[in-house]
Amino acid sequence: MKKEYWNKPTMGLWERLYIFEVIRGLCITGGVFFGNMWKWITFRKGALTAYYPEEIRSDYSPNNRGRHILTQRPNGEVQCVSCNMCATVCPAYCIEIQSTANFEDPFHPKAPDRFEIDYSRCIFCGFCVEACPEDAIRMSKDVPNLPGFDRTKMWAPQDLLMNWQPQRNPAKVYPSAQTSTQEVHP
Amino acid sequence: MIEITIDNKTVEANEGETVLQAALRNGIEIPHFCYHPCLSIAGNCRVCLVKVDGRPKLMPACNQTVAPNMVVETEAPEVQSARAAVMQFIMLNHPGDCGICDKAGECRVQEYQFKYGMAEPISIEPKHHKKKFNYLSERIVLDNERCILCSRCVRFTREVSKSAQLGIVERGSHSYVARLDAQPFDDPYSDNVLGICPTGALLSREFMYKSRVWYLEPVRSVCTRCARGCSVNVWRRKKHWYVRSLGEEKNITAYRISPLENPEINGRWICNTGFDLHKFMARPRAMAPMMAGNTVTVDEASAEANRLLAGATNPAIILSAHASNEELQAFKEKLSPRVQVYTREDYCPAEGEVVEDDLLIRADKNPNSYSVHAMFGQKAFSAAAGHDVVIVWGDQVDYTSLGNAKIIHLTSYAPEQETRADVLLPISTTFERSGTFCNFEGKTNRFEQVFDKPKLVQHASDLFGRL
Ligand code: SF4
Ligand code: SF4
Ligand code: SF4
Ligand code: SF4
Ligand code: FES
Repeated sequence: MKKEYWNKPTMGLWERLYIFEVIRGLCITGGVFFGNMWKWITFRKGALTAYYPEEIRSDYSPNNRGRHILTQRPNGEVQCVSCNMCATVCPAYCIEIQSTANFEDPFHPKAPDRFEIDYSRCIFCGFCVEACPEDAIRMSKDVPNLPGFDRTKMWAPQDLLMNWQPQRNPAKVYPSAQTSTQEVHP
Repeated sequence: MIEITIDNKTVEANEGETVLQAALRNGIEIPHFCYHPCLSIAGNCRVCLVKVDGRPKLMPACNQTVAPNMVVETEAPEVQSARAAVMQFIMLNHPGDCGICDKAGECRVQEYQFKYGMAEPISIEPKHHKKKFNYLSERIVLDNERCILCSRCVRFTREVSKSAQLGIVERGSHSYVARLDAQPFDDPYSDNVLGICPTGALLSREFMYKSRVWYLEPVRSVCTRCARGCSVNVWRRKKHWYVRSLGEEKNITAYRISPLENPEINGRWICNTGFDLHKFMARPRAMAPMMAGNTVTVDEASAEANRLLAGATNPAIILSAHASNEELQAFKEKLSPRVQVYTREDYCPAEGEVVEDDLLIRADKNPNSYSVHAMFGQKAFSAAAGHDVVIVWGDQVDYTSLGNAKIIHLTSYAPEQETRADVLLPISTTFERSGTFCNFEGKTNRFEQVFDKPKLVQHASDLFGRL
């Protein structure tokens, strides 16, 4: 039985002759194509197509949630204390952190030695930024430029997250003086 | 039996019991830091204050024995405000660095602060700082700032492990927990204080910063390090939180061991050797079947073992005291009529290890000697009996004692010596199967499977069906 469709095609004889309408369509697309090509040959920006990943739009909103930045302490070490709040809150389960201990520095005894984000899973929700108690993770407006064919290669390691090029906004504004008083027991 | 009323509910209490014990037994929650069911009453934290009818002041529930017709209120407004004030006081110099505290997620201070505390500190004074990381021993690090001086750890070493190595020194807000002489805290039960400390003051150095606790889940298991067979929890990563980039091996690692309460066998404690069970299990494994030193497939190896057994005139087996009751049963049904059965102790006390004490540790360092002896007697192998094929089950095998017999070796771990076995068949460990052990008193204790077994490794019970 022939399937019933909700709309019936309303074609006159001209349309049903087919060939003339197809030629008309080809003229429209061809016109756009050659128009764009002419602009391109004469060094003007033609179509709206961006040649991703070589071309990235410059007009992202400053509020855009793009790639993550791990902020740094004044001495260049990572600000993150490896509390895993971001990894816990992340709805895409795409942050993985491995921690190290440094008991010589009682103010920063815990730090990540691997901090990796899986950009094949990240949904750019910004929850990680929201959850961080240390202002250690931020999102810049630029997109992470990680196109590829293999999702296992879309992990951004800690080094990259701390030093994306061009570097933007990596250093955390730090309170100048140590505000808490240290009483060391006799 | 005494009848008392707690929160308008009539509960039955035993003579001499405290209000807190009666409440907990009847499912009424009263917060408590310093009270621990296995330790003496200290009554120093005051978070358990309750209102007792007819008393002018609030009473600590942990130190208040029940009396007939007592009327107790645990949620009265004055109790709630007293609790909030106690939490203010306890948090006065507490650093609150939960973000980097391994206890976060299973910490009583955190829990009570959320439930009963005030949102903001009312003190305007800066916090006292104490020394943060003190190495109490190779195993334990003490953060004096986080300690709330509940004295649970001190009472544990005095009353349970009896080493009396810990104490609280100095006065007032300068007090801190310390090892009493300058020696390391080398009590063989020392790691139990990690579990009873209600805060993150006492932490395991080995587990330090390995994982947040909410990524892990406990699985019931049995410690195989001595004949006591204590119940333990093995903490593995939740499926939900499996890592991908940091390495798959993290998903099949046992992160830590903690005691599992079992009043019949070990109460609430285990010894330090038990806390190291996961390290013992993480030794290099025998991962693939071998024949005369070459890796072969499972089928080839079992076929060769079958051929050896079929051709043998006087075959024997040496049983492992690490075999579970189910495996021994499978062996008894499938194989035992055809072979001469001997027994063996896989593990003997190591040098420097506590051999036996009157708390938990037993001299027999194997978990299931009881069942092996009950089912098959006790008979040591001797090469003089002239066996031509010997099946050795278990690890730590000294091949030289086996004479010239052909050897079929069933083992979970890579042999220490160069293997002389004609056929080596890898078998699963206790973490990779479930079953039961009988401890030295004959009490049965169950362990659950923690991880899947590797592909080329077989369960010993399946293996006997094939031989
Ligand atoms: S932006 Fe959202 S999805 Fe991406 S890492 Fe942060 S929390 Fe996860
Ligand atoms: S929440 Fe912030 S401090 Fe914590 S692990 Fe994430 S980035 Fe680091
Ligand atoms: S002891 Fe508890 S409250 Fe204190 S820092 Fe650790 S987790 Fe937080
Ligand atoms: S270290 Fe822990 S158990 Fe010991 S007194 Fe302090 S808070 Fe209590
Ligand atoms: S539990 Fe009662 S005073 Fe600590």
